Amino acid sequence: MTQKVIKVKDNDVIGSTNEFFRQLLSSGKIQALLVPQNTPSKKVAFPVLISDPKKLHADIIAPILPASTAAMVSKMTKVQPPAKPIGVVMRSCQIRALIELVKLNQANLINIVIIGVDCPGTFPLNTYAEFPEKKTPTHFLLEAWVKKSDDAEKYFRSVCRMCKDPIPTNADIILGFYGTDFEKEIIVEAHSDVGKEILKDLPLEDEKEGKSREKAVKEIRDEKTKKRALFLKEKEGIKGIDKVAEFFDKCVNCHNCRQACPICYCKECLFDSSVFDAEAYKFLRRAEVKGLFKMPNDALLFQLGRMNHMILSCVECGLCEQACPNNIPLMEVFIPAAENAQKEFDYHPGKDRTEKVPMIVYREDEFLEVGEK
Amino acid sequence: MSEEKKDHKKEDFEPRIVGFLCNWCSYAGADLAGTSRIQYPPNVRIIRVMCSGSVDSMYILRALLEGADGVFVGGCHPGDCHYIDGNYKARRRMVLLENILGTLGLEKERVWLRWISASEGQKFADTMKEMTESIRKLGPSPIAKHWNL
Ligand code: SF4
Ligand code: SF4
Ligand code: SF4
Ligand code: FES
Repeated sequence: MTQKVIKVKDNDVIGSTNEFFRQLLSSGKIQALLVPQNTPSKKVAFPVLISDPKKLHADIIAPILPASTAAMVSKMTKVQPPAKPIGVVMRSCQIRALIELVKLNQANLINIVIIGVDCPGTFPLNTYAEFPEKKTPTHFLLEAWVKKSDDAEKYFRSVCRMCKDPIPTNADIILGFYGTDFEKEIIVEAHSDVGKEILKDLPLEDEKEGKSREKAVKEIRDEKTKKRALFLKEKEGIKGIDKVAEFFDKCVNCHNCRQACPICYCKECLFDSSVFDAEAYKFLRRAEVKGLFKMPNDALLFQLGRMNHMILSCVECGLCEQACPNNIPLMEVFIPAAENAQKEFDYHPGKDRTEKVPMIVYREDEFLEVGEK
Repeated sequence: MSEEKKDHKKEDFEPRIVGFLCNWCSYAGADLAGTSRIQYPPNVRIIRVMCSGSVDSMYILRALLEGADGVFVGGCHPGDCHYIDGNYKARRRMVLLENILGTLGLEKERVWLRWISASEGQKFADTMKEMTESIRKLGPSPIAKHWNL
């Protein structure tokens, strides 16, 4: 690993990262960047694909994840990957999702340079858009982060408070904010040969204090893990059909959660298929079974079926929850379900590209008690 | 409440079981049980599938949510699947389904996977007896009285 730093001028963190990105683009080593940039209204920051350094006014700290960046990279590379390198700036959860999509043959990393950014957390889309504080969300967050205060905590999406891992793994380059006084220096690490090669000729300075980064990374990981464990303990409560039915009561079966999920990539989702269209008499027959039949139908079937299809690859990005128009706190069931299922198969989504997705492989000598008895 | 109690009395309760049987083994096994006149409880409604590996969890879940008291999946013995590894994949899928049902406290004991070959008519009948009795002990599925799913 090579460690360098970006010298921050006049405490201008965002400006200095943009200077770095402009140098990166001008170096010719990457032909374009996918990087979050605020829309003119400043109500949202979307990833933009950008090749002209003059047009670049990115905001990589903007605490918002409007949609899955992994799904965007999938869209851009699945048909044909780029001929020359493109840098994609991503948060850790989205890198994990991208790795899963690569395993599922839904994305291609050829000529994709992953630039991971330490993530302190993101706000729900509408909190970002209608931010109640005087400062912009980015400045408010940066200030809280520097002071190590928990002022921003109340604005974070709940899933971010207990992020599975806020530090990117599987990135070629990491921009590090933990373990450095980032109003002075931002850490730049190369984690692959591609990353090293790209950083080689950029005007960056060498990092001296690698130790403080290591310690800070461990601390933040421990803190989030602890919060996640606490949450898992609390959410033991949603058990049994009474509780489960009540939990999903507000679900209108709109499938927005699935649409937002990076892992649910199917071109035609089973739950949108004609399996659910039927003659009136079949609906009547189903009504007769229980005496009455709720519509829109099969909402819980969708939830549990979707869970069975994708939970092993769930990266806990919380985009499903953010997309729900009825504010169902989906992570309260998805995190426990992901935790238990992934443990059962000793599977770690997003960790290792060579690890096979559990449902496409098997061993003859496993789970022998299932099917016998 | 009293009416519900009456509906759900255990003694005179006949479990409704949905059985997905692989065409090449368990379905033929059920057939053999029939032609050999081996007695087994009539509680199982059989659906023939081409392979245990073709049973998406969605179909098992749908039976459960519609109020089935139990769901049975019958496949070829390990190593004998007509499509080479459908049953190994069915086994993994079953492990996952049971895990998720467990997380949500949804009585995974109501879902069974068993290997039964075309020549095992007796085993099919025995398994059906065993499952019917086991589900009878569990009582009616609490999901059956929920219409708001
Ligand atoms: S289920 Fe939700 S948390 Fe999990 S990967 Fe999909 S959108 Fe993210
Ligand atoms: S719910 Fe299942 S079928 Fe639908 S998109 Fe997700 S994985 Fe595909
Ligand atoms: S987004 Fe919300 S309401 Fe829509 S299907 Fe998902 S959980 Fe149900
Ligand atoms: S053919 Fe019988 S389980 Fe696959």
